[in-house]
Amino acid sequence: MNGRFVLALLLASSLPVVASLSQPAVAGEVAVPTADQLLSYVDKNMTFATRTATIKMTVVSPQRTRTFVMQTFGRGETESAIEYLDPARDKGTKMLRRGDEMWMWLPSVESVQKISGHMLRQGMMGSDLSYEDMMGAAQLRDKYTAKVTGAETKNGVLCWRVEMIAKDATVAYPKRISWIDQKSHIPISQELYAVSGMLLKVWDMSDIRTYDGGRQFPAKMVIIDKLKQGTSTTIEMTSITFGVALEEETFSQRWLERH
Amino acid sequence: MLLLRLAMRNVRRNVHRTVLTAGTVVFGTALLTVALAWLTGVFGTLTNTMASFGGHARVMTTAFAAREELMPLSEHLQHADDLAAAAMKLPGVRAAYPRIVTGVTLTKGDEIGDQFGLAVGAPIGWYTDQLHLGKDIVLGTMFTGADGETVLGRTVAEAIHAQVGDTIIALGMTQDGAMAPVKAKVVGIASGGNQLVDNGIFLPLEPLRWMADVDDGATELLIYGDDKTEGKTLAAELRADPAFSDDVVQAWDEQPSTAGIVAMTGVVNSIISSIIVFVCALGVWNTMMMSVMERTREIGVMRAMGLTRPGTVVLFVVEGLFIAAIGGAVGVALGCIPAYALQVYGVNLGDKMAHSAGVPVQSHVYALLTVGVVVEAFTLGLCTALVGTAFPAWRAASIQPVDAMRSR
Repeated sequence: MNGRFVLALLLASSLPVVASLSQPAVAGEVAVPTADQLLSYVDKNMTFATRTATIKMTVVSPQRTRTFVMQTFGRGETESAIEYLDPARDKGTKMLRRGDEMWMWLPSVESVQKISGHMLRQGMMGSDLSYEDMMGAAQLRDKYTAKVTGAETKNGVLCWRVEMIAKDATVAYPKRISWIDQKSHIPISQELYAVSGMLLKVWDMSDIRTYDGGRQFPAKMVIIDKLKQGTSTTIEMTSITFGVALEEETFSQRWLERH
Repeated sequence: MLLLRLAMRNVRRNVHRTVLTAGTVVFGTALLTVALAWLTGVFGTLTNTMASFGGHARVMTTAFAAREELMPLSEHLQHADDLAAAAMKLPGVRAAYPRIVTGVTLTKGDEIGDQFGLAVGAPIGWYTDQLHLGKDIVLGTMFTGADGETVLGRTVAEAIHAQVGDTIIALGMTQDGAMAPVKAKVVGIASGGNQLVDNGIFLPLEPLRWMADVDDGATELLIYGDDKTEGKTLAAELRADPAFSDDVVQAWDEQPSTAGIVAMTGVVNSIISSIIVFVCALGVWNTMMMSVMERTREIGVMRAMGLTRPGTVVLFVVEGLFIAAIGGAVGVALGCIPAYALQVYGVNLGDKMAHSAGVPVQSHVYALLTVGVVVEAFTLGLCTALVGTAFPAWRAASIQPVDAMRSR
């Protein structure tokens, strides 16, 4: 076996890898979508015109495990509202987000407080999710430039691996790596990074269900804040309805103060 | 006895030189009296404030102690009331208070402001009996015992434009990191002239327990004896008690924030005293050296007549000590006048300086004239004489009788 033959063999064996990274191309029998196409599919599933959901959120910390039940309302990318139904300590707490502004109704002090700035990025109810994470539904395609870096199996699901870099430095996570299910186009797993390259959060989605209009949406999410130790937050969609008609008042301060 | 009589005679022989030597000692001891009274007052007030705020001894969990600067509420003492009851059974313990200290954002309006502060939650007894907050109230009253009351430090109150009767919201965190608010009516505004009081947001314990979501927990347990000097004894008793075996116990002067100040107190005291003693000793050395040189022939004759070397040393040292004793007494008496004035009237450093000091120093500081200060100043005055006469006495003892008698 001479050197020229070995080189030819190496080149031949590396061809599938090179092919999988080029866009568009073919990986096995599945055509590799462009990154733009993939983000469009994801956005179509994950964003909505209107939505209501009842959510059970379980927050595990080294000290204890707490469970919250909340009713959420969303309209477009910038309007969302949450009302806590359980536990008793937090029952009646409401949050309203409109654009970059957020208000909280705190029943224990019967007061509306406006929250802004860095507080939006704090853990909501001490969970691994920030207020921005929970109440934002921005289209990825608008916020990030992306490239597909290969096909990988993640959490037992065949996915496209997509790297995203934020177009605007003000977004909460300047870099994301997503593993997008090749069938449902749901990001089965996401790694969220700071601008420094530090891994901030890992966000897994599972129990993908099909809703009206063929929309795919995960009924379960597990978020781990890598800056905390021994914590995790699980979100389970007890019920979810898309395209529901919502009262205008739902996204007003009057709704916040309504008992 | 003969040496003593000779020393007395020498003191009277050259009045000018004796007065000069005594004057140096008078100046030194007077300065020492004022300086020591001042340092005792300033550092005494500082350490008293820290011991009353932080407890003569303090108990916390090991995990809390390891990250105390972050004040992690999740690492609180559970069943702190039971721990306080257990501590009260120990000898020497006069009071035990669970306490929570946590950072909050304070607001008087609807928008969460950028006024951050430290909220303190403690039983009312701690405020009245240990912090003596009542004497610092400048507007309104102390806690009346009604629900939902707060006393604000003056600096904090001014920052959010809060007045007595206003309702404020302190937005803090639970032990899990969730936002949790406490609403309270301002019943009093306090100004203690130090940052611990002036920057404080004081609340009863229960509202902060609710905010932190810690049931009957507390971040620390403060233990008090009769006096702060009992801190180490109390800490040792607590450590020996099985109820506290898993926790960290610190006497007030073992706490990281206070240990440095206590050490600094000793260092500053020593440096200032040493400088004064050294400078004054130079004066004594000068006059005593002149005395030795003037009396060289006399010393030679006395040595020839049988005065031993140690006897010569004793002769000069006794002479120096006699002058120092008189000068010291006069110096202490003179020093007591300004020291007493500083004790009564003090010096106003101003709030700005006090608040930027990094330690809870009072804006108005006073000297403290104690028997200990007087004794220390007088003793240091005698030390001045000892140091100042040591070399001249050695020099005198080294004189050879034959050489001395030949000298002119």
